[in-house]
Amino acid sequence: MTWTDLAPLGVELILLAGALSLLIVDLILPPGDKRILGIGTLGVFLAGLLATWTLPLDGLALGGAYEGDAMGVFLKRVFLLSGALAVLAVQGHGPKAWPRRQGEYHQLILYSVLGMSLLSGVRDLILLAVAFELMGVPLYALAAWQKRDAGAAEGALKLYLTGAVSSAATLYGFSVLYGLSGSTRIADVAAAVSAHPSPLLALGATVAVAGMGFKLGVVPFHMWVPDTYEGSPTPFIAFLSVGPKAAGAAALVQLLLPGHGALLGTVMELFLVLSAASLVLATLMALPQSNVKRLLAFSGIGHMGILLMAIATGTVDGLASLLFYLLGYLFTNAGAFVVVHAIREDGGDDSIDSFNGLVHRSWFLSGAMLLFLLSLAGVPFVVGFWAKLFVFMAAWQAGFEWLVILGALVSVLSLFYYLRVAKAMFMGTTERRDEVPMHWSVRLAVSICLIAITGMGLYPNPFVAVAEAAAKAFLG
Amino acid sequence: MLDSWTQALVFLLLSFAVPIAMLVVGMVLRVRSRRKTSPIKHEIYECGEEPDGPAWIRFHPRYYVVALVFVLFDVEAAFLFPWALGIRDNGWLAIADMTLFLGILVIGWAYAVRKGAIQWQ
Repeated sequence: MTWTDLAPLGVELILLAGALSLLIVDLILPPGDKRILGIGTLGVFLAGLLATWTLPLDGLALGGAYEGDAMGVFLKRVFLLSGALAVLAVQGHGPKAWPRRQGEYHQLILYSVLGMSLLSGVRDLILLAVAFELMGVPLYALAAWQKRDAGAAEGALKLYLTGAVSSAATLYGFSVLYGLSGSTRIADVAAAVSAHPSPLLALGATVAVAGMGFKLGVVPFHMWVPDTYEGSPTPFIAFLSVGPKAAGAAALVQLLLPGHGALLGTVMELFLVLSAASLVLATLMALPQSNVKRLLAFSGIGHMGILLMAIATGTVDGLASLLFYLLGYLFTNAGAFVVVHAIREDGGDDSIDSFNGLVHRSWFLSGAMLLFLLSLAGVPFVVGFWAKLFVFMAAWQAGFEWLVILGALVSVLSLFYYLRVAKAMFMGTTERRDEVPMHWSVRLAVSICLIAITGMGLYPNPFVAVAEAAAKAFLG
Repeated sequence: MLDSWTQALVFLLLSFAVPIAMLVVGMVLRVRSRRKTSPIKHEIYECGEEPDGPAWIRFHPRYYVVALVFVLFDVEAAFLFPWALGIRDNGWLAIADMTLFLGILVIGWAYAVRKGAIQWQ
């Protein structure tokens, strides 16, 4: 190995060097004002983003276990943006709520994004497992960040236990795949599936997919999602609900699609059932929620159903629609959670009632939340519409007509619960007339998300073109 | 193929036979007390100290923190030995690699010290 072999891992090296440097800065700084750590973390993410345009990231690394390509670069941007938005939104809350633990919070986010970033180009089962854990382990600690809060402890413990079980399941699935194909390279496994199809290979793939399904939070592996979302710091949920989900989808793509979707073929029925179950059950369970974070949690489970639909197509169009979906979902969901965070900071309790009459107190927050909710529901002129439309078109072409019809029906139904929040904001009444106080970082994060979802909603073409190029680069 | 399975079978039989034989021999040879039960009979046989209090107590997290710091240096040692064997072939690159590796571990150790992880009070 020489140093030049690490060139495709430029972004990862930046993240690692940044995280270690910030750790040293944290040690040198006197306890007290540690705001510089958050700004530094944002700087690391921006440097990583810049590197996706300037550094040559294509090619093999780690002895062929990692390969940088256009899809990897696209995914890295999604992961870095999700980390940056989550870190940005916590800049007002962190120094007040946990002044002495700011260093650790930002460290853990950086390491989690480092794991995701590695996932964007894995070609080997072992690296896939390691990167997946590197992404997942920091999340357990972050979920329990409000450590005196019983709800946070419960949510974090559920995340930890399901995470541990799902890791075990994934590793068991990988071991079966390795045992039957004789190689840990995903391309070799796919070739073995094509050459000698066997029910045991399907078993291995099924168990591995189930393990990843836990992490994604698809029905029936979803029970940790609402509790964890409810108990954890909201800016962290803006990260958890986007970055790791995108990384989980990326891992499924890396595992199942190589070799003309050979491995995908063995789990196709499972995929379709999981997708349909997620779409239907998440929507039905979101309807009666009175807590906005739980509502958004179930909405997120439904969106995972759409992601699975896009992966199940296995086509270039499907993969391109998935990538575009991830980008749109990133800004939409992160934005919605940042608004929830702003209301919480104002003394709200995450219930829909605390959104009552928001329009009289902040037209900015209420208007932004309305657009985020419309985008989540998939209404035209915001990005969520195009994202869903492209997935549905790709799925229709792949022959999943019934699933598309189901998805469309569920989307209409989902408008109802999204609009319950909108109704509270615009038609609810409140005594208070004071402006909702907002830290500059929250305002900036919401603005970025707003610009992104309306920009991509009005001019989706350039982003779709990049996603298509990325999908072609991966599926070749 | 058959040979390796035969070996496994012999091993399995032996692993059953040995403990059963030990119990049988013990039953024949052991000194019997006249009384049916006595406190001494209920003592743990050759298993260390008598337990004092229940085992289900909450341990202080500092034990885990110290264990983590220990693992830091344990891993370091595990990597240092093979590295020392290969250093002649790989030269300065190996030394640079290990310096980087140790540097990262030292950062971790400095973090543990600075955050009071190994202060015991």
